[in-house]
Amino acid sequence: MFIYSQKKRFSTVFSASLLIIVSLLLSGCAGNKAIDGDPSSVELSESDPYERMNRKIFQFNASVDEYIAHPISEAYLYITPQFVQTGIANFFNNLKDINVVINDVLQGKLQQGAEDSGRFLLNTTAGFAGLIDVASEVGLERHEEDFAQTLAVWGTPKGPYLVLPILGPSTSRGIPGGIFDTAANPATYIGIPIQLVQMLNARANAGGALKFIDEAALDSYVFTRESFLQHRKYLVTDGNSEVTDDVMALEDDFYDDDELLDDELLDEELLDGVDIKEAKVDKVMEQQLELTSTDVDSFKKASESFDGAVKSFDDTSWSFEQAGEKIEKMD
Amino acid sequence: MFFSAINNSVAIAGSKQTREATEKSTAKQIVGDFQLKLLDVMKEGTVLGFQGRYSQLEPAIVKSHDLTKIVRIVVGKEWNILSDKQKSTLNDVFSRLSISAYAFNFKEYSGESFEYQSEDKTARGGIIVHTLLKLPKNKDVKLDYMLKKKGESWRIINIIANGVSDLALKRSEYTSILKRKGFEALIAKINEKIDNYTKQ
Repeated sequence: MFIYSQKKRFSTVFSASLLIIVSLLLSGCAGNKAIDGDPSSVELSESDPYERMNRKIFQFNASVDEYIAHPISEAYLYITPQFVQTGIANFFNNLKDINVVINDVLQGKLQQGAEDSGRFLLNTTAGFAGLIDVASEVGLERHEEDFAQTLAVWGTPKGPYLVLPILGPSTSRGIPGGIFDTAANPATYIGIPIQLVQMLNARANAGGALKFIDEAALDSYVFTRESFLQHRKYLVTDGNSEVTDDVMALEDDFYDDDELLDDELLDEELLDGVDIKEAKVDKVMEQQLELTSTDVDSFKKASESFDGAVKSFDDTSWSFEQAGEKIEKMD
Repeated sequence: MFFSAINNSVAIAGSKQTREATEKSTAKQIVGDFQLKLLDVMKEGTVLGFQGRYSQLEPAIVKSHDLTKIVRIVVGKEWNILSDKQKSTLNDVFSRLSISAYAFNFKEYSGESFEYQSEDKTARGGIIVHTLLKLPKNKDVKLDYMLKKKGESWRIINIIANGVSDLALKRSEYTSILKRKGFEALIAKINEKIDNYTKQ
C-alpha cells in the first residue's frame, strides 16, 4: 500500500529527494522556515528572471506555512490515526487518476491510458472508493501526468519560473496546466470541507520533504527552484532524456576543468567560448537589471515584473493556439 | 600481407574492446562497491551512531568520489578568484558536509536495495552507470551515477536521482550564495549544516 507519511522512506537521501519533488507538486504551501536570501542583492538568471519577486512570494508562502499550514498539519497528524491518513491520501490520489487518464490520452499514450483507467476502476470498486490502493498491490503503478506536461508534449515552452502566492512553485506553462488540472479533479466540485481536507492532506504529506529541504539546503529558495524545474523536465520526458541533456551541459565544465588541471594554462579558444557564453548571459541580466535598477519604489518593480509575466502568458497562449491548429490538422 | 593486416585490425579491435570492457567494469565496480558499503552502514546504522557511520563512510566516499573535482564544478568560475587558503578551506568543509550528509541520511535499514541496470559512455569519455534504488513499499528511484576517469581509476562526480542532478543543484546554490553573500557566508552556511547533521 502506498503510504506517504511512512518514516522509513526518509531513510535514504535519494528517496527523500524524490519526496521533495512529490511534495512540491502536492503542497499548496511549499515554503521553508529559513529564508537565506536578501532579495535586494539577487542576480537574475535566464530560467528565473523574476527572482526578486519570486523570493518575496516564497518568503510570504514560508510565513503562511510556518504560522498557519504547518501547525494545522501537525495537529492533523497528531489526532488522525495512520490508517485514516493513508486512506485519505489514497482517496485524493484516486480522484487525481481521472486527470492522469485524460492527460494520457491527450499525449497519445493510449496503452498507459488503458492501464490508468484500469487502475482507477479497480481502486474505485475493490478499493472502496479509492480508500485502499489495491491497484499498486497488483502491480499497476501510479503514473504522474498532468496538463502542464501535456502542454509541453504539444510544444508549449516552459516559460520563466514563477512562485505563486499560496500555490508555490510553477512556470508560466504551469498556470494554464494547473487550472485545467483543478477543473478535471472531482474534489473541486464536492465542496469546501472536502477541499480543506485535500489541502491538509497535501501539506501533511509534504512535511517530511520540507524538513529535508530545511536540513539539506544552503539556500532553500534555489534548492526548491532547481529541484522543481529539473524534476518537471524529467516528468515531461518520462525520464528518457534527462541524463543526456544534463551531461551535455555539465561536461563543458569537466572539459574546462581538465584544461585547467592538465595544462595549467588557459586555453584562449576555450576562454573565448566561455566569454561569449557569459556575455550573452550578462546581456540578458543587464536587460533584466535595466528594468529594475532604476526603479525606486517596489510597486513599480512589481508592475514591470508582471508586465514581463503577462508577455510570457501571451507567448504561452500563442503556443497553445499553435498546438490547437496542429491537432485540427491531425483530425 | 593482407591477412596480416586483418589480423592486426582484429587484434587492435579486440584490445580496444577488452580495454572498454575493463573500463566499464571498473566504473560499475566503483558504484557497486560504494552502494554495498552504504547498505552495510545502513544495516548497522543504529548501533554505529552518527560518528560511527561517518568513520565507516569517509574512506568509501573518498575512494569512490572525486570530491576535489566536484567542488571545483560546484563553485564554477568563482574557483579561479579564490586564494589557495580559501580553496583548501572549501575543499575541507565540502568533504565534511558530503560525508555528514550521507552519515545523517543513511541511518537505518528497512529493506532497501540497489540494482544495476546498464551503462552508457558520454561524449567526452565519461561513463554513466544506471541503477535503481528499490524501496520495499514505494516506487523505485532511478539513480544515475556519472563517473569520470582519474588516473587509472574511475570516480563518481555526479548522482542524478529521478532526473534531479545533485551537481547542478549544488552548483546553483553555491554560485548563488558566493555571488550574493560572499565566500565567508558560504563557509559559515556549510559549517552550520554540518553542525545540524552532527547534533541530530
